[in-house]
Amino acid sequence: MIHLIGHLLEGGYRAWSFLRLLDYLSVRAIGAALSAFILVLIVMPPFMWYLHRRGLVDQMRETGVPSSFDKAGTPAMGGAVMVGALLAACLVWCDLASGYVWAVVSATLWFAGIGLSDDVAKWRSRSGNRGMSEARKLLLQGAFAALFAALLASPWTPLPAREASTLYVPFVKQALSSSWWIYLPVVFGFVVLVGNAVNITDGLDGLAIVPSAFAVSTLGIFAWIMGNAIWSKYLFFPLLPGVGELVVVCAAFVGAAVGFLWFNAYPAQVFMGDAGSLAIGGFLATVSVLVKQEALFLILGGLFIVEAVTSQVQDKIGIKWLGRRLFYRAPLHHQLQHTGLAETKVVIRLWIVSLILALASIATVKLR
Amino acid sequence: MKAFSRILLTGGGTAGHVNPALAIGRALGDERTAYLYVGVRGRAEAEVVPREGIPIQFVRASAYPGARPSLAWLGFLFNLLAGTIRALVIVRSFTPEIIVGTGGYASAPTMLAAAILRRMGLLPAKVYVHEQNAAPGKLNLLVGRLADRVFVSFPDTLAAFPENGTMAGYPLRRRIQKGDRDAARAALDFRVPPGRQVVFAFGGSQGARTINRALVDALGVLLPHKDRLFIIHGTGMRRGDGAPDPGADVQARLAQRYTEDQRRAIESFYVSRPFFHDIETAYAVTDLVVVRGGAGTLSEVAALGLPAIVVPKINLPGEHQVMNARALAAAGGAAVLYEETRNEDGQVVEVLDGALLADTILALAEDPDRLSRMGAANKAFGTADALEVIRRSIAGDEPSPGLPFPPPPQAEPAGGRLFSDNALLYALEHRRAASLPAGVARPGQPRAEDRPYYISRAASLLARRNWEARNLGVKLLGLLEGKEKLPLVIALLEDRRPAPWFKRLFGGDFEQVGFIRRNAMTAIARFGAVTPEVEDALAAALADPYYEVRAEACRTITALDRHLGDEGRARLIAGLTALLHDRWLEVAAAAAEALGHVGGEFDARPALLALAEHKYWLVRAAGLRGLHALVERGRAGNLDTLEQAARGFALTATDFQPEFTIRTSYGRLIRAIGARRSAA
Repeated sequence: MIHLIGHLLEGGYRAWSFLRLLDYLSVRAIGAALSAFILVLIVMPPFMWYLHRRGLVDQMRETGVPSSFDKAGTPAMGGAVMVGALLAACLVWCDLASGYVWAVVSATLWFAGIGLSDDVAKWRSRSGNRGMSEARKLLLQGAFAALFAALLASPWTPLPAREASTLYVPFVKQALSSSWWIYLPVVFGFVVLVGNAVNITDGLDGLAIVPSAFAVSTLGIFAWIMGNAIWSKYLFFPLLPGVGELVVVCAAFVGAAVGFLWFNAYPAQVFMGDAGSLAIGGFLATVSVLVKQEALFLILGGLFIVEAVTSQVQDKIGIKWLGRRLFYRAPLHHQLQHTGLAETKVVIRLWIVSLILALASIATVKLR
Repeated sequence: MKAFSRILLTGGGTAGHVNPALAIGRALGDERTAYLYVGVRGRAEAEVVPREGIPIQFVRASAYPGARPSLAWLGFLFNLLAGTIRALVIVRSFTPEIIVGTGGYASAPTMLAAAILRRMGLLPAKVYVHEQNAAPGKLNLLVGRLADRVFVSFPDTLAAFPENGTMAGYPLRRRIQKGDRDAARAALDFRVPPGRQVVFAFGGSQGARTINRALVDALGVLLPHKDRLFIIHGTGMRRGDGAPDPGADVQARLAQRYTEDQRRAIESFYVSRPFFHDIETAYAVTDLVVVRGGAGTLSEVAALGLPAIVVPKINLPGEHQVMNARALAAAGGAAVLYEETRNEDGQVVEVLDGALLADTILALAEDPDRLSRMGAANKAFGTADALEVIRRSIAGDEPSPGLPFPPPPQAEPAGGRLFSDNALLYALEHRRAASLPAGVARPGQPRAEDRPYYISRAASLLARRNWEARNLGVKLLGLLEGKEKLPLVIALLEDRRPAPWFKRLFGGDFEQVGFIRRNAMTAIARFGAVTPEVEDALAAALADPYYEVRAEACRTITALDRHLGDEGRARLIAGLTALLHDRWLEVAAAAAEALGHVGGEFDARPALLALAEHKYWLVRAAGLRGLHALVERGRAGNLDTLEQAARGFALTATDFQPEFTIRTSYGRLIRAIGARRSAA
């Protein structure tokens, strides 16, 4: 919006020429990050009190004596504020004519909607287990993945036609394939997998949000390179005109994420809930696809992938089929806790792991 | 009241359906009435109905094969179709005034044909259904909706027929009355020596293999009492469909279990017949019956005031036999023994322990006062005259009291409702409210009287093909503390049949999967008894390929340490010491703790002290707890050197327990309020 206003004013009067600054991605990115961060800091405290009054007082009343040793009864759904701040910052700082922006924004909203209705269902039934059914969640996520894949294959795709169906892998300059038959199923599976992976990772204070911020920052770097004619040529990346706009979106995400961490840091005052974790999953999935880094995400988001895979292997292969556990516990962070690591230690170690994975992903820019 | 002149009866498969049909038919007609019975060839009705002087015609039909699609469904549909077409002809040509169906699959074609003809306006007859069981069968549910009125035997069943149900009870044949003992004695085709207590065991018209086999097994225990007992055994008729002949099965088991001499001695107090057409004569000489829990049999037994041992068939729809048996037992008229299903050489069979049956018979036979009290209780239980209700309702066709208003609220069955397997698991796992999430009410608990039934049902689950059911069974046995099923639990642990190769590829091991073996260990800990077999099982479990079984075995040893003999301890110590270096730290930790409970100064102490610098603090902590147990047991040896050595334990840890002090303050406040309130 500011981008648009700036253009109008600049065109009209010479005195407004400094508004050219607003054309710079860097300025808008910093603005988006700061405004998202501040917005979360302002909105979250009253929202937490609102959640406390609406949702958790009842439980506390029935509880009688709560345990001194766990955090049961902490307000969830904090992710809604984060998503709200992200969207507000995008509306203000992005070029709203960009198809890239709208693809990412609609993914985030769709997944946040699924998560929010799951949170509300859990809250209604007063139980952590009786939310939306797993099949229904998957169906709704699959529906988005299919729509998204269809968008990419349609004439309205934001990607340039020659790159619309290309699949790149790290360390290789050329596209691995450009067949729709390969690309569309990959996109579909990728969106569903990543969409859920953050949800599974979100089990300890700060565990989901910091690695997400690392991953989004890295994807922002890729968006900047591929949207820039000079750098993309120099680094042998395909040029995707206009994808640089995603730098602003990623910056807004990081700002909102840091704002959320302010409250979510151990011991958490608020959890993101499915509203947050599914939204982050949808965000990461669509940005990765739009900057052609689906395969790189296996490294960049390696933590999320391992969390999702361990959880599914333990549950579907081990417990349901073989009648035994294959790990002590799943997903990964519970396994680590089971071997005697404190929550804080597990979280910080996994932050370190995700940081290293992000750095390794950035290194692939030159190693091609 | 006028008698009907043309009555069509149908129902069958078993005598439990045929007898009510005949009783109702007789009550509605007189000597000039023309009857026709429609049934299935080779089943109970083919045997019973001609003897009553009633003409019978046959149609095809077969039992509802269950909800799962299968080949049996094709046969079922074909038979139903063919049977219905044939029944159309029979009903149309007989032109009955009324039609009475008593359920069982044999009645389905006729009832469907009647419904079709009525819909077409070709049949002016009224159609009635009688449902004997508490839980109506699938076909009766369908047919009942099409009938003018459905008479039910239990108030609960009215809920299934809200439009046209009437509570009537179970119609007994008029002839069922306790006859004169001496006359009956003379009428029997065998001699009952005077002065004996007579036990009459039978499993209905088809016989019950459970009762037959248990009774044969019981004869050995009863043999020393052959001068004061006499056993009459109705083995059951051979069915027409190629099922094994129950009489032959009984003879084979007699020959297999007993020597020539024993069999000769048994013959002096035991007689068996396939079926008693004049069951009244047998009842007349009887002091105690051993029966199944069918509504018909129990109604007869109750009406005659006979004390009963009831062996209900379990795992039937709605557990109706169990419910019937519990109702009679709650009234004081019956002792209930529960069978269980076992997997014997790949065949699922129902089993009742013969010794248990014999002991129950003897205990009752030795207590004549109790027998007469039970008889009186039964007499009081079965007083309603169902036939009278049915006759009046049909003659006037008056609406039953209360209808068309909503049916009366469902009565709580005598003895309360039964738990499903999963509900039972939930209830037992949350016996104490502390195990529940905050704010969730503690579930109701099963009654102590039903424990034998639940144990039998849990044991039955162990014979199932899918491992989830077996796992549930072993969990339930543990929670029910069903110590008497210990051999079955140990058999699970000893069963080392490998899992299919594709499961082993992913980490599977045996047919009795890891969870089953782990939960078998937990169950053994709950049983709280140590036998040589348990010691063997524990030693074997310490070397199990699945880590949770090894860890659970260690915990079971800790739980049972008081019951272990010296020899048992010595055997287990070596296994536990080896596990201190298990790759899975959960196992190593459990082993360290167990070692402190069974070991001593020369084996456990050095092994536990060697954990002082173990990589995982959880194992070091368990080592310290093990040493603590040694000290408490006074088996730690020199305490000065132990204290010195314990200083060598690395106490740094990667975990700690947070305490949210505001929650502690809140908890103290709430507890103080509670304490004040209860003081006031």
